Amino acid sequence: MSMDSWDRPLTRRSLIRGGAGLALGTSLGGALSACGVGNQSVKKSATEKHVRAKVDGDLVYFNWTEYLDPALIKGFEKHYGVKVTQSNYDSMEGMMAKLNSGNVYDLIFPSAEYVDRLRKANRLLQIDHTQLKNASEVFDFSPYFQNPWYDPQSAHSVPYAMYTTGIAWRADKVSNMTGSWADLWDPQAKGKIFVLDDYQEGVGMANLRNGFDLNTTDPDQLGKAQQLLIGQKPLLRGYSSDTITNMVSGNAWIQHIWNGDIVNVRNQVKHPENYKFELAKEGTPLGSDTFAIPTNAAHPGTALLFIDWMLDPAHAAKNINWVGYPMPNKGGYPAFSALVKDEPSINVTVDQIQASDKYQYRDLDRTGLTRWNDVWTAVKAA
Amino acid sequence: MAAGNRFWARFLIPGGGWLLLLFAVPLGLTVAVSFGTTNELGLPIYGWHPGNYSHVFDPLFAPVLVRSVLYALATVALCLLIGYPVAYTIARFGGRHKNVLIVLIVLPFFVNYLVRTYAWVTILSDDGLLNGILGHVGIAPIRFLNTPYAVIGGLTYGYLAFMILPIYAALDRMDPAVIEAGKDLYGTPARTFWHVTWPTTFQGVLAGTVLVFLPAVGDFVSAQLLGGPDTFMVGNLISQQFYSAQNWPFGSTLTVVLMAFLML
Repeated sequence: MSMDSWDRPLTRRSLIRGGAGLALGTSLGGALSACGVGNQSVKKSATEKHVRAKVDGDLVYFNWTEYLDPALIKGFEKHYGVKVTQSNYDSMEGMMAKLNSGNVYDLIFPSAEYVDRLRKANRLLQIDHTQLKNASEVFDFSPYFQNPWYDPQSAHSVPYAMYTTGIAWRADKVSNMTGSWADLWDPQAKGKIFVLDDYQEGVGMANLRNGFDLNTTDPDQLGKAQQLLIGQKPLLRGYSSDTITNMVSGNAWIQHIWNGDIVNVRNQVKHPENYKFELAKEGTPLGSDTFAIPTNAAHPGTALLFIDWMLDPAHAAKNINWVGYPMPNKGGYPAFSALVKDEPSINVTVDQIQASDKYQYRDLDRTGLTRWNDVWTAVKAA
Repeated sequence: MAAGNRFWARFLIPGGGWLLLLFAVPLGLTVAVSFGTTNELGLPIYGWHPGNYSHVFDPLFAPVLVRSVLYALATVALCLLIGYPVAYTIARFGGRHKNVLIVLIVLPFFVNYLVRTYAWVTILSDDGLLNGILGHVGIAPIRFLNTPYAVIGGLTYGYLAFMILPIYAALDRMDPAVIEAGKDLYGTPARTFWHVTWPTTFQGVLAGTVLVFLPAVGDFVSAQLLGGPDTFMVGNLISQQFYSAQNWPFGSTLTVVLMAFLML
């Protein structure tokens, strides 16, 4: 399929999400057997290699499916005379699995908590901001990102986009939305409700509804989350992160969703006014995604050029209209605000991100991570 | 004599090497990882942690395994029900078009299973193709998608050819004269089928059953795309361990146990 047929705006974490993951899954066995398991630890010095922003080869790019305007990739190829080899992941865990099995990429798009994890393991190259002509586009726009919690001084990452998790619903089908996570238990939409197939979002949503800390790893509190989610199953249509397909196909009346996806749903339906979005009053997960360069990247110079290319105000504005998620920079942010001016709930501001540390997913330690996943497995298996 | 054997034994090298490289080595790695643990990044670390194995027998997983086996058995039954008549028709009445018909059976396999399953999502959706047609004849939208039936249907669709081909091979090998003999001996068509055709092709049916059951029981695509909240299969459980849980050791343990179970 040519890229031209993808000119309708689509998005992150969505359409082919399930699909790409499955394909990835089948290849994982091969990766595991072919490379053995890459298990070497990386020294800190490996992150300190000084890289200049200049073409040092073709770019190997690794991102969510449809999370960046393909026209900008084509433009980059043409402008610098390089080729961009694209691979996609369908979840942060999928990205980690590929990195862990020894694959080499020049540019990845980890979300905040994964930047934290990767940088602590010396897996991300330091990024010299002076190499980026457009660094001020992002760092002057949002001083918060000059020193975010996940990466002091943004030394290993450059902010890409921001997202929040809420609930989408069909105004022509359901009438009693309450602005609470309890809406995902709405009996009026029984058999028409989807929860994101994502352990973080699933367990996190239950924690918020229970009134606990989003990132709690307390076994009792997680036990309550498990009960809550199991009790929800009779009302659900399924667990799915194919949010756009679910909404557009009419299978979902209520969908646990990332904010940018609703923008894209509306672009694809006859009556966009019926497709609403709300944020839950108990609190709503917020997050940001970044550009980062793995320590073992073969062409970090080209990767820097690409980051710079995307920060260019005109390019950022163009990207927004395709992706449907806000970028925290001078070019992209106003474009997004204009896109969702009638419905500010879809927007995410840097201030929100800054003010709501407790609504951001943290990089849990291994014990916590295992507990969360055990809950999710138990819910799915029940 | 001995020298002749040695000569022919050499022909085993490519096949044996292939098996060693693509079967024994990955299997060994899987077993090795299944006793391992993980570090902070989610990387597997080899070691001796038999605890993974006791975790498999958590009662939590029993319904998942039972469900997978039931779905796979239903799939085998449906494949047999659909596949046998198809194979029979092609083998007995296909004439010179036999090969073309068999190619047509295999043709969909040139398209990825995943893509074909996605097509079913479009067809079975509430506002999808099938409900659109039903709507025209005044039948209210029926929920097809995200049900156990959709999952079993997806599995049947996905693995049907594995049933048809061995049965076709068995039927094609069978001498049609034996059926005529059955008729000559005043056997009714049903009796002839039961006493002559069925036993002759039973090996094909058996092969088809195994070829369908094994991949179906470990499948995760159909349940992921066509399933609902209560259709979680063992394949989904394993893929979840490798991905979201980033727990390759436990995923490997589940794989090893599933393989052992299937060999029994």
